[in-house]
Amino acid sequence: MIEIGIFLILLVCGYLFGSLAEKRHYRSIIKREAELNSLPAIASRYPATDKCYQQHLVYGGVVVASDYFKSFLAGLVNFFGGAVVSYESLIDRARREAMLRMKAEAKAKQAELIFNVKFETMTIGSGRLASVEVLAYGTALVPQIPSDPPVITPQYARILALNPSQA
Amino acid sequence: MEYQNKQPDEGVNITRHNPVIHLLKLLVAALIVIVVLVVTVNMFASRVGRSVPFKYELSLMSHINYDFGGNASSDQMQTYLSDLATRLMRHMNIPEGMSVTVHHNHDDVFNAFATLGGNVVFYSGLLKNLPHENAIAMVMAHEIAHVLHRDPAAGLGGGLATMMALMALTGNAGTGAVGNVLNQTGAITQTKFSRDMERAADNAALGAVAMEYGHVAGASELFKVLQNKVSSSNGDRDDEWYETFISTHPLNVERINSILDLARYNNWPLAGEITPLPVGFHTWLN
Repeated sequence: MIEIGIFLILLVCGYLFGSLAEKRHYRSIIKREAELNSLPAIASRYPATDKCYQQHLVYGGVVVASDYFKSFLAGLVNFFGGAVVSYESLIDRARREAMLRMKAEAKAKQAELIFNVKFETMTIGSGRLASVEVLAYGTALVPQIPSDPPVITPQYARILALNPSQA
Repeated sequence: MEYQNKQPDEGVNITRHNPVIHLLKLLVAALIVIVVLVVTVNMFASRVGRSVPFKYELSLMSHINYDFGGNASSDQMQTYLSDLATRLMRHMNIPEGMSVTVHHNHDDVFNAFATLGGNVVFYSGLLKNLPHENAIAMVMAHEIAHVLHRDPAAGLGGGLATMMALMALTGNAGTGAVGNVLNQTGAITQTKFSRDMERAADNAALGAVAMEYGHVAGASELFKVLQNKVSSSNGDRDDEWYETFISTHPLNVERINSILDLARYNNWPLAGEITPLPVGFHTWLN
């Protein structure tokens, strides 16, 4: 009787607090995505060559934990098979949050573009302690100040050689 | 013009669904699967267990050579319990080749049980709480009836098969809450079978007691003793519905009513002369 009660309380608390935390997180994500919208983050492996940039590695990582309700639902889906829809929002939030943190770091460096963006995903713990880590990383391009001496990196030199008109 | 990064639409990567309804659908389906599985496997495995000849039970137990505590028992208690068993067995149509061996264990455990090979074990913790021979006889006949009905073999077969089936089925659901819920459902479903066995043993035992003593006085008192013991040990009346649901034995109130109904149906007198415990009984317990 006590076990059933504890289980139901955990399930209800997991649903209520998990939903609340998720809604709050999504509100924050949507707001910050709009704020950082002007900073493009692209998957292309080729940097912009329109002007001289400093390159910085930028990354943002986040660990998002599942709640009791989501884990229980995922366990039941495991029983029958099918899409584990209860974890979809978890992964979505983690990816977007990691991207936002990466962008925030790039913005702080006054970057104009992040290219070669990649994601790494890792599970932490298992079973009822399941949580997911998502790491987003890329190369931020920070325009050089005109007074700075030009920095010609070997890669940039190669690009210039390929595109003489850029010189 | 500043470059604008167009954001993707919301919800592209998320399936829209009502998680509560999703959970309820899956939970109901999983519980139905478990109940059907446990009922099917238990019925089949119990029949297989009962069909194994009794001589194999005896052979198995002779190889195990398990000490039920009988060696430490006093000779008087051992003799008394064995004689009582022999007297009751005369009324129970024990088939040829089947035997019952009674053991007395000194542990202060409020229990008695029958197991493979016709072994019946009485604990001092139970014996010291029984007020008269009629109550002991009811317990004894009940345990002999389990042996007669081949319940230990059926229980072992059904229990093992169910456990393996549940492990195979719930293993994929992972550890934790889901595994617990599914296994608990299986365990609760399984109690239905053990309760049926207990009711059948009660009915057979009551008949033997009625034939031995000419009445069933004392049998219903036994369950009152058990009821009082349970009440005083947990003292929690809120748990009664749960006890009814999960207990392997039917509730004692139900058993008393069932006994009274059966006695009336068979015209067995509900009152009669109570046979006291033999002199020195309580000294034999230690």
